[in-house]
Amino acid sequence: MAVTPTAALVQTLNGIQFGFILFMIASGLTVILGILDVLNLAHGELFSLGAYTAIGVFGFIIGVIGPPGGGVVGTAVFILAVLAAVLVTAAILLPVGTLFEAVFLRQIYDRDQVYQLVLTFALLLILLDVKKLIWGDSSIRTDAVYSAINAIPTSELVGLNYPTYNVFVILVGSAVVAGLFWFFERTKTGRIIRATAIDREMATAIGVSTDRVFTLVFALGAFLAGFAGAMAVPPTSATLEMGTNPLVLSFVVIVIGGLGSLRGAFVGALLVGVIRSWMITLYPPGEIAAPFAIMALILLVKPEGLFGTWGETA
Amino acid sequence: MQQTTTDHDTGGIGRRQLLSAVGGSAVAAALAGCSTLLSDGETADQGEQSGGEISDEPIQAGLLTFTRGAPGVLGIQAQRGAELAVQRINDAGGIGGQREIELDVVNEGSNPLDSYNQFIEEGKEVTFGPISSGTHSQIAPEVEKNGIINVSTDGTVTTLYEETVPDPTYSFRFQNYDIMEVVTMAREAVERIGADNISTVAGVNPGYSFGEDEMRVFTQAIQRLTDAEIVYEGFPELGASDMANHITSINNEEPDVTFSSLWGGDVTTFVRQANANNMFENTTVFGTTLYSAAGDVPGDALAGTDIYSGSRNYYWGKPALGNWQPGRELFDAATQQEGVTVPTAHYMSGYGAVTAWATAVEKAIDLLGTYPTQEQIAQVLEGHGFFTPAGYHNIAEDHQGASNSFAGQMVYDDDLGAARLEDVNTYAATETAPPPGVTGSDWLDSWSA
Amino acid sequence: MPERVDRDGTPAYRVLGVEVTRREAAFLVLGVVFLFVIPDIASLSDSLQLSVIHQGLLFGFAAVGLNLLLRHTKLTSFGHAAFFGTGAYATAVLARYAGVQSVGLLLLGAIAAATVMAAIIGVLSLRHTGLYFALLTLAFGQLLYAIALGQSALGGSDGLPVRPGPANQPLLFGTAFSPDVYQILTYYLTVVVILIGLFVMYRITQSPFRNALDAIGQERTRARFIGLPVRRYVWAAFVISGIYGGVAGGLYAVVRQYVRPEGTLFFLRSGDILFMAILGGFRTLVGPLIGGVVLVFLQDVGQDVTQYYEFLTGVVLLILVYGFPRGIVGSLRSGGIVNTRLSELRREPSVLSAWGRSAAQSIERKVTEALTSLRIILFGVD
Repeated sequence: MAVTPTAALVQTLNGIQFGFILFMIASGLTVILGILDVLNLAHGELFSLGAYTAIGVFGFIIGVIGPPGGGVVGTAVFILAVLAAVLVTAAILLPVGTLFEAVFLRQIYDRDQVYQLVLTFALLLILLDVKKLIWGDSSIRTDAVYSAINAIPTSELVGLNYPTYNVFVILVGSAVVAGLFWFFERTKTGRIIRATAIDREMATAIGVSTDRVFTLVFALGAFLAGFAGAMAVPPTSATLEMGTNPLVLSFVVIVIGGLGSLRGAFVGALLVGVIRSWMITLYPPGEIAAPFAIMALILLVKPEGLFGTWGETA
Repeated sequence: MQQTTTDHDTGGIGRRQLLSAVGGSAVAAALAGCSTLLSDGETADQGEQSGGEISDEPIQAGLLTFTRGAPGVLGIQAQRGAELAVQRINDAGGIGGQREIELDVVNEGSNPLDSYNQFIEEGKEVTFGPISSGTHSQIAPEVEKNGIINVSTDGTVTTLYEETVPDPTYSFRFQNYDIMEVVTMAREAVERIGADNISTVAGVNPGYSFGEDEMRVFTQAIQRLTDAEIVYEGFPELGASDMANHITSINNEEPDVTFSSLWGGDVTTFVRQANANNMFENTTVFGTTLYSAAGDVPGDALAGTDIYSGSRNYYWGKPALGNWQPGRELFDAATQQEGVTVPTAHYMSGYGAVTAWATAVEKAIDLLGTYPTQEQIAQVLEGHGFFTPAGYHNIAEDHQGASNSFAGQMVYDDDLGAARLEDVNTYAATETAPPPGVTGSDWLDSWSA
Repeated sequence: MPERVDRDGTPAYRVLGVEVTRREAAFLVLGVVFLFVIPDIASLSDSLQLSVIHQGLLFGFAAVGLNLLLRHTKLTSFGHAAFFGTGAYATAVLARYAGVQSVGLLLLGAIAAATVMAAIIGVLSLRHTGLYFALLTLAFGQLLYAIALGQSALGGSDGLPVRPGPANQPLLFGTAFSPDVYQILTYYLTVVVILIGLFVMYRITQSPFRNALDAIGQERTRARFIGLPVRRYVWAAFVISGIYGGVAGGLYAVVRQYVRPEGTLFFLRSGDILFMAILGGFRTLVGPLIGGVVLVFLQDVGQDVTQYYEFLTGVVLLILVYGFPRGIVGSLRSGGIVNTRLSELRREPSVLSAWGRSAAQSIERKVTEALTSLRIILFGVD
């Protein structure tokens, strides 16, 4: 079974696209871990919640603006509408994240680490049934977005058979990556957050309200997870179990990259995405085994990951 | 007895003749779909049934099926089919004219063994289901151990009665099993494309015993019929959200035939993503259970595809609805149920499993005059023939049901709001099932043409 | 035989090295009797099922093993299912491929396999603590899961049956019993194994080894400086905890007669075992066992009561974290929160309204804080 260069490229692109979505989930997880020192087990459910919410939001917005009109303008309007829907979905996750942190998480920061795990797991379970309550048991889909965006010719222009939606994800994902880096390096809030991670006491000394920083970080994580959910759902469907796999893979990503490192999460996510993609084609049992083998290896050989933790290299 | 229907409607058949035509009981008549021919709302004559040796306690029955998630797309069909059959039985007065059935539907989900054991502990008198072959392999030995009849709706893996439970007493399977539908599609591929045009074959099948079984059998069958070489085998897990990698591999290989036993929500995922990757420019897909997602796959995903699907032992459109009254009634009743856009083969899986059991019990009551034991029902079920709106079925001595099978091209019908099959071929059971006592694999090996 | 001992003024007895006051002895005897009587109670009641309690006991037993690491060396393992699953799969593999029919031999195989697995993983995980340890154990657990899932010889996603021999059932004492009797006999076997396991664990907690582990848990470096062979002791504790997991897994396979990757090796199973330990009270010996039964029971009964049983379990865990951090057993002990609150209540019943008010106030405060934070996040920092 020889793989042509085109197929090799497409498989890699498949992996990269998956990697971007994984990055958006893992970035929130790693930032929360780096700043709050909390391993948020409910993070997969935030992703899932984003996916479910997105279907409703997509339906609403597309209902309002109608199917994409012809020509460049019509297409551009449609794409903007989709982006708006994704942002709205992610924004809906903000109060959820805030609530989780301020009401639930805050109590237990000074307690034994095990309790955080129990707490975030409890939130996972609660979110599972909240989704079941609101959207029911069967999987739901949004059809319009995937097919409409795929109708836009992109890779076809270079003779490649690659769905435009995946190109869209890669482009938007890159923007998110750039945006996050810019946020943490150039904006005041971002730098305050990093400062809090590096030295919490010093940050308090210069007048930063760590409480507020913590809430902000958790809300940001939830925002990113929701964003990922909205981007991930059009080609597939939202199911109750969809949060589990991304959660476990995110663990792998943040370990590979370094607990708390954003750059590491990016590299780790792309690595995991591409490796997984190749494993499915070449050696199916490796799809699950390879990421965890790498995770174990990194923990044994270089526990701080490829890029260390937050303080050193952001 | 005054006949309130005209001779024209019943074709001149009186009630008594009709009852004997379907085996003597009102329940059988109702299940065969002849209820309106019976009367205008008259229920069964309870007095005709034998003696007061039958209690009027309702029969506790359990159904194991997928009620949620991607597998639920198919599982709910089986549920509705079973529920309709139970309703028709109860409307006809119940089993033996006395005992109504109470059907308890439980999600097969993550702990099917526990759910099944709970059925037994609750004292169910009969169980139906499961859908998944994995589950069926798990519970079949338990069924034999517990001595409570299980008529499965699916769980069609070939090795069930060949290896897992080689000489079943209490376990029965109504629906055509894997080898039957796979051979159907192998023959379909040859018929539609031509044996000379099939030299490369790929497979995308769910990654568990059912998918692996079907791919294995298809490989054997297609290599008996053509000189094909298998160029790619993908096994996405049930409910996988991303099949892009498999699709890319298929695009790479450009096989003449792609075989798939994906079912339920996975079909929708696959077809949508395959279409987005223009996979249908490179291959023709032949699937055994793709039609199970008839009500789920959106029209734009099916546009421009090249898909042939089997529909096991029931396709609502053959015979045409206008020509087959029981089929029409079933279709109308089914489409009114929640979650059913069109009844698929799996609808009939549920309906037929209940019908097989109920008609057998009725026959036994007729013979014995009392309510039969599990062993007596089992004995009647062997070689038992009965009617459903899908036609005549037979549960062979080896406990496996054998019926005709159907296959056709899968296209979207806007008026229906679902997919339908076009240009449907029917295959006799003799073309698709091994003779009694011969394993599927041996039978395929013995083909010379 | 019981030797009289004085413990802080209260008279206690010592039997076989176990030291208990009169009160504790009563509880102990009651507990043991209760365990043995459960099949009879279960046959009377519809909602109480032997298989459910049995499963709870098995997972709880694995949690008791986990607790050795959690309670003393303060190591949170998120991969304990690896040993549970190893034991279960070893049993299945022996039954299917080696034709081993005897329950005793199957269990021995499970123990052997789990010991080896724990030894290997333990060696690799020794150096780490805290979150890294948790993640490393998670990785190993998932690796095993991936292997079981990926190899068709291990049954893949469908798993393996445990039905050796012509009887299609493992043999107890060389005999094939009817299914009902088999269930009850294997239950008694489990009870015996659990009692032995608890006894062994008790003796460990009374030994200098336990003190060493505590020291290691508190401050590793200091422990090393005072000469404790930290690596070896942690490894030993790891292996012991793994054996408990393996025994539980082996029994699970023998009882259910079917093993699948998701039920035995998946990280959510590891999580379950960890949470059982905490739910029951991880600072106690018996707590994890009780936690196991309660959690399994909750999920089972919960499923019958409502379709939102996960929510129910989540709420119970929340109550645990906020109200009863010592877990069930921990809170019921003297000095635990249940007793202190009860005694407060007894002294001054009106205290109840005060509690209600303070609870309401704190909720109100939290929500306002949350809303303020949200407003600030959305509309800018002041």
